[in-house]
Amino acid sequence: MEDLKANDKRSYIDNLIDFFRKRSIWMLHYCTGCGAVELPPSMTSRWDIERFGIVPMATPRQADVLLVTGYVSLKTLKRIIKIYEQMPEPKWVLAFGSCTVNGGIYWDSYNTITNLAEYIPVDITVSGCMPRPEAVIDALQTLMEMIQSGEGGAYKKYKENYEYYKKNQDRVLRKTAPILGSSETESIYQEKEGNYET
Amino acid sequence: MMDSPSYMLSKIAEKDNLTVYELFFGPNHPGMHGNFGYVLEMIGTEIVKVRPNAGHLHRGFEKLMEQKLWVQNIALVPRICVADPDPNEVAYCTAIEKILRVDIPDRAKFLRTITLEMSRLSSFLMGMGALAAAVGLYTAMNIMTADRDLILDLFEWLTGARVYHMFSIPGGVRNDLADGFVERLYKVLDHLEKRLIEYDKLLFENPIIHKRLKGLGYVSKEDAVKYGLTGPNLRASGNPYDVRVDDPYAAYPYLDVRVITQEGGDALTRAIQIRLEFEETINLIRRALKTMPEGEIRLNLGNLSALKVPKGEAYAKVESSKGEFGYYVVSDGGMKPYRVAVRGPSLPAGLLLAQKHLPKMKIDDVAAWMASLAICPPDIDK
Amino acid sequence: MKLDKESIIELLNQKGVEVLDLYPNQISVNIKKDNLLNHLVFLRSIGFDHLSFINAVDFIDEGEFELVYHVWSYTHKIHVLNKVRISRNNPVIPTIVNLWEQAQFYEQEIHEFFGIIFEGNKDLSPLFLENWVDIPPLRKDFDTKEFSVRLFGAEIRR
Repeated sequence: MEDLKANDKRSYIDNLIDFFRKRSIWMLHYCTGCGAVELPPSMTSRWDIERFGIVPMATPRQADVLLVTGYVSLKTLKRIIKIYEQMPEPKWVLAFGSCTVNGGIYWDSYNTITNLAEYIPVDITVSGCMPRPEAVIDALQTLMEMIQSGEGGAYKKYKENYEYYKKNQDRVLRKTAPILGSSETESIYQEKEGNYET
Repeated sequence: MMDSPSYMLSKIAEKDNLTVYELFFGPNHPGMHGNFGYVLEMIGTEIVKVRPNAGHLHRGFEKLMEQKLWVQNIALVPRICVADPDPNEVAYCTAIEKILRVDIPDRAKFLRTITLEMSRLSSFLMGMGALAAAVGLYTAMNIMTADRDLILDLFEWLTGARVYHMFSIPGGVRNDLADGFVERLYKVLDHLEKRLIEYDKLLFENPIIHKRLKGLGYVSKEDAVKYGLTGPNLRASGNPYDVRVDDPYAAYPYLDVRVITQEGGDALTRAIQIRLEFEETINLIRRALKTMPEGEIRLNLGNLSALKVPKGEAYAKVESSKGEFGYYVVSDGGMKPYRVAVRGPSLPAGLLLAQKHLPKMKIDDVAAWMASLAICPPDIDK
Repeated sequence: MKLDKESIIELLNQKGVEVLDLYPNQISVNIKKDNLLNHLVFLRSIGFDHLSFINAVDFIDEGEFELVYHVWSYTHKIHVLNKVRISRNNPVIPTIVNLWEQAQFYEQEIHEFFGIIFEGNKDLSPLFLENWVDIPPLRKDFDTKEFSVRLFGAEIRR
């Protein structure tokens, strides 16, 4: 209970809330890329991240953590942003593998983004291609420490710098149209687009 | 914050006073394996129309491979299929060797065969686990995921990586088996064989799976060939075809591969097909280990980074756990491939059969249907 | 009835197409665009029942696209690469959806990545990319590195 003591920045209640919060992280069940193949081993008996109170959750509305497991194609990026904005605060983002930092092995691909942090704020990046379950657990434990100490606040950055993120998102996503919805919405999207060089 | 008006559910029409609405099945859906989606038009819980929404995993592999050296692509090819990466490496290397017109040493062929079959085991375990999870039998899924780790550990010992092995190279394989590897592999195989009894109790003799899968997604014998299904899906419809026998590669000409076929063609037959092939794969690895010769493990092709492949083209195919994985390689005689085209096994099932089967199906069965056909989105999207 | 490779080559030669013996179990056939459907129908009638896939190759220096129809026979155990060359400026070819239904998706894919038009195919909507406005990405004149640097700010590594 030593770490719950109040200091000049955080009250005892803040610390207590974060203590409970870090012990029940629900992560969104969304396999965005190949890193997701190492999640079943992490979740089941061998590594068993459930002992830290981490469980998969099907819907973004109840999830705390978004795991971006590897490369992000433009189509996926759109879904990730949609999902990220649906998640209630406080929320955190874990980016897996080198693909989310600089594009990794797909750095010169025409359909995958290179740096995820330009589009949504990322709390932790996990190294490796692909990250081993130990690395995943290490990242989640670091996240728990960050939550306890009140550091994990990248989601606040998203609100403060919304213009910046929105600008970057629009720059790459202007090329995409909604899959769902009527053809009318699609034509609205196309009108907005204008010409795009490259 | 979002300017897009539509979320998960949207009403699109009315039919006989019933609302037709669109439901996005995936990519963020617990029943979806991987990043893939179907846009379902539904009345109540019944599907009336389906639009496959592929491309979430499109990375442009075929373009990227034109940018890299022949040997650099070895790092790229296994990433096309996460669950079963080795067939990609072997198919790509075999295609190169065909154009070079070289024959690799026998031991290298056997080592490739053993990694292919180990990869098949791990992929089958994952597939059976996914099927179990799709019908709600999570215990079986947990046990299978844990058992799959035993194979991944062996892979780590052999190649240094758990998932993407990059073991085959043009001219052979990267390294030989370590001391004690064979004994350990025998132990794992024995363990898996014992576990099969448990899988049967938990999954294949479970009344739940029989009730859920019986008659689901029926494919007739003729249709399976006509639609281009391959692998276990084809054999579960009564067609005795297997690339390992029909167009043998690696060490399969020296091995006696038993082709298992079943009549039936529904999801339950396909599930049991995988279980039977799993058992046969264990025996096949044992036979391969017994007959494996000593000797060289790779040809000397000089400096691989400066490898030049003569002008020509070749198509090489490999029987993966999901079906025929094919690589069509065109060389213009340079340091880089002129064109690499990939044939993934999931496309006919994931896109064409979806349009045939899903209408009239209830939404609860979609996940089980997908798992029974072993649809792997990355090789559709590439 | 199982035919061996030699008799298949002979059969095809009688039909007046150019056959190249590539590897054991693999032959390559050059056909004209107008003859494509007839040829594939003939192949199918003698037991080539499995369409593996279709792919295109961009021979930019020769100003031509080459379409390769991979057909495999479960009876004869022979793989045939059926190659058709079409002009790069006017890339039009008849569809084979009526022969093999799964060709629909391969044709959609090739249309998306090469811009080849399949005459008679009703649905050539994009399958993988959303709202692609550029030149089709798998053509040789599309520079993916340049594209990635400009759009995503990728760093060129040396």
